[in-house]
Amino acid sequence: MIATTEILTKARKGGRISREEGLEILKHGQLLDLADAANEIRFTKVAEPQVTFVIDTNPNYSNVCNVDCIFCAFYRHPGEEGEYTYSVREMVANFKQAAAKGVTTVLLQGGVHPTLPFEYYLEMVERTIREVPEVYPHFFSTSEIIGMAKVSGLTVPQVLRRLWDAGLRSIPGGGAEILSDRVKRKISHLKGSSADWLNVMREAHKIGFRSTATMMYGHLERDEDIIEHLDVIRELQDEYGGFTSFVPWSFKPGNTPLEKVIPHYATPTRYLQIIAISRIYLDNFPHIQASWFSEGKKTGQIALHFGADDFGGTLLEENVHAAANFVNKTNTEECIQLIHDAGFAAAQRTTLYEILKIHPRVEVAA
Amino acid sequence: MNGGINFRDGGLIPIWEKIQRGDRLTLDDGLSLYRTPDLISLGKMAHAVQQSQSGDAVYYVLNQKIEHTNVCVLSCTFCDFATKKGEPDAYEMTTEEILARLTPEIREVHITGGMPPDWPWERYVEIVRAIHEHLPNADVKAYTAVEIDFFHKKFKMPIEEVLRQLQAVGLRTMPGGGAEIFSERVRKLLFNQKIGAKTWLEVHKTAHRLGIPTNSTMLYGHVETLEERLVHMIKLREAQDETGGFLTFIPLAFQPGDTGIKPRNQFTSAIDDLKTIAVSRLMLDNFPHIKAYWVMLTEEVASVALNFGADDMDGTVGGERIAHDAGAISPTALATDQIVRIIRGAGKIPVERDAFYNPLRLLSENVVGKIPFLNSVPFYANMENRVFKILPVVPRRMGLLAEQLQVDAGPFSLMDYFRLEDSMDLMGWCIASRDQVKSVMLFSKEGWRDLEGKRIAITDDTATSVKLLRILLEKKYGVNATFERLHAGVNDYSDYDAVLLIGDEALRRNKYGLHGFELVYDLAREWYDWQKLPFVFAVWAIRRTISADARLMLEQSISRSLATSEADFVAVAGVHGRTIGLTDRETQEFLEGFSYRLGGREIEAMARFRQLVAETESMSRVDGRREEK
Repeated sequence: MIATTEILTKARKGGRISREEGLEILKHGQLLDLADAANEIRFTKVAEPQVTFVIDTNPNYSNVCNVDCIFCAFYRHPGEEGEYTYSVREMVANFKQAAAKGVTTVLLQGGVHPTLPFEYYLEMVERTIREVPEVYPHFFSTSEIIGMAKVSGLTVPQVLRRLWDAGLRSIPGGGAEILSDRVKRKISHLKGSSADWLNVMREAHKIGFRSTATMMYGHLERDEDIIEHLDVIRELQDEYGGFTSFVPWSFKPGNTPLEKVIPHYATPTRYLQIIAISRIYLDNFPHIQASWFSEGKKTGQIALHFGADDFGGTLLEENVHAAANFVNKTNTEECIQLIHDAGFAAAQRTTLYEILKIHPRVEVAA
Repeated sequence: MNGGINFRDGGLIPIWEKIQRGDRLTLDDGLSLYRTPDLISLGKMAHAVQQSQSGDAVYYVLNQKIEHTNVCVLSCTFCDFATKKGEPDAYEMTTEEILARLTPEIREVHITGGMPPDWPWERYVEIVRAIHEHLPNADVKAYTAVEIDFFHKKFKMPIEEVLRQLQAVGLRTMPGGGAEIFSERVRKLLFNQKIGAKTWLEVHKTAHRLGIPTNSTMLYGHVETLEERLVHMIKLREAQDETGGFLTFIPLAFQPGDTGIKPRNQFTSAIDDLKTIAVSRLMLDNFPHIKAYWVMLTEEVASVALNFGADDMDGTVGGERIAHDAGAISPTALATDQIVRIIRGAGKIPVERDAFYNPLRLLSENVVGKIPFLNSVPFYANMENRVFKILPVVPRRMGLLAEQLQVDAGPFSLMDYFRLEDSMDLMGWCIASRDQVKSVMLFSKEGWRDLEGKRIAITDDTATSVKLLRILLEKKYGVNATFERLHAGVNDYSDYDAVLLIGDEALRRNKYGLHGFELVYDLAREWYDWQKLPFVFAVWAIRRTISADARLMLEQSISRSLATSEADFVAVAGVHGRTIGLTDRETQEFLEGFSYRLGGREIEAMARFRQLVAETESMSRVDGRREEK
């Protein structure tokens, strides 16, 4: 048994830690020892005491879905009361409104709609680029891309190539949940295996797409599953380096079928532990994102001292957490203030983490 | 040398060295701590201090807050709870309405409210009396210093008399509210109708002298400066040096909302909250506990604060109103299971406590008790913490918790071991005197033989020492005296003829004296002169159901710890000694005076004591005298 401090020293010096070592520090590491190592590694990757954020929105073109994930309160079956699907024209109008408010990133997802034609998605990309050039499309999760392949009869690489040709360059990392089939079979058996998510990402990165990687924890997973998740995305990142950042969040049980089994949110200390271990384990990821939105503003601020260097987006619109009665709102001004109060300069970024504008922190005499 | 801290801010290193030497931090040190960008190192320093004091324990209490009225003669800008008589939202609770709020599981009732213009003094006394009679198992924590001062002025009684009358009907402790921030500048700006630092401190010190321990608070995040926060902490630290009566410090994050304070109308940042917890843990070196009051701090920050120096989550707080009215974003009451979940999530053991921080119920496996006295420090210098969780607890409480299967191993007071020996195995270590100990002392106004029929105060901490005293009195000197058990900590002993003190308090009093008690007897020496044997105060024992692997790990930890300690007692225990006023040399000599290994002489001493206990117990059955447990 190697002492957790030795493992952390190795990581601090730039050494890659193994699955066994990752599990050891996740199970037995002291919270602030993890923070300390993660924070040091953060400053070797992002040297400035600066935290990035993006002005973004997360609309959903449809809530129609047939994968029945038990952790989700957002979806409706085709024909079910409350289902909706917007036209491309309606969505483009939505993006224009967002752009007028300064939004630069649109993270667009469904539902996994069983019958929408592939042309709908291509048109969505093309018209967005043409008609709303201020925003950068960050569209369609892996499940939707697999859905497009089914509807169109194309392969996943062919679907991705057509989306690329339409102008899409970045895809969101949602739908990963926990990349451990033991867990996936329980919480999302129709959504596909870990390999499905990883294959779409691999094919996308091969073409040149950039994407984020996400993880949703705090439900039925064990520590081993979390390490497995981190390990498979680290392995894929070694191949093409296509991931921009890692974004973990905790399961929100409200209104979901899983609520009966898991009635609580994971604790803030668990989130901080996950942020720190992500930074330590994912030695080939440039950015780790803290989420004021999914964990609360105060926890988000603290996470900036636990290895995270990004504060996520301002989220003009969000529907999925809201369906689980979990609502946090901010605006650009408050987002900058929160970063400043946490002790960092705030830097507005693009989808791909290019810095647009730095808001320096002014020392207030307190 | 940096104790596992990799300082990013080198400016913190000299402060950490001071802390490790047991030196007191200055206002400038406090400013450096507050201003550091290195939040994690600050947290690690505070967490190290927290662990040395509280082990892995985080306390909570099943409490109920009663706000008997919101009618108030004051109009403080920061408060949107109070109102005036006749306003539509004004209420005044009757005693029946108050009692109807209380449920039987409650262990602490926290009473504070507005100050109405027309209530008679008897009504305030009646609330305390009625609650105490209705729920004798609950401790009544009542009335802030502001209210006490209001009673003193309105009913024209000295503060001491106000407190004595309340104490007589069941008041046990006092809340810490109304301190706000100890700054005349801020008081004039925001709280000009409230009492200032001088009166607040005077009320609390008076309470401490009467044996009423109290809490303390600081309201921050409005218009105060960092210097003013630190001055506040330093004033509390000085008062604590005088009386030792503060149980805990509670930083209260200012809640904006409809309070009329405009200058900084926003919530404090999480970083400021955590820094305030950590800085207070480091500045308040004489405070036993720091509380993360989740109602004000939010659940989020309170849970993280448990790794930044806080060891108390407050409680279930049924009926919390004041912070809620000002827009606090916590739910109005966290269920106990939520508190327990948060404490466990922070890697700690949830410990349900009473108002005096006595542990009542633990929710953890593999708990090792730790006697929080200097003489036990050598056992814990190198303690494995993966399998076992450490709970600091006075000897008598450790025995009670072991009986309830809540503590699994530890150095048990010998009387407790006799009671537990059917379910526990001895481990080969003990705390035994060679000839004297200096930490089990009788401070007396009379010589041994003149104690016949006199009243002796004993504290709540001890079982074996009480029995030893009884045996010495009856068998060695042929004297009968009455024992009266008091809570440990602040007490007024002047009415008693003698006082038995153990542990650090006895060491401190042995060095500095206890006013009015000129004769000082070392019980271990008395025993040695009589029996020519060491005295075994405590023996290490472990529950038989604990697995062999875990037991082996504990044994190795203790061996390793003792080896480290005996190589250099001062390195291991010097800081602890200094906190109770001992020089390093005195600490060294004190610890060298013990046998830590259970050898033949110690076994013989245990047998002799057991026999004498049996003889006195059969005697007391004949006398029909009630024996102290």
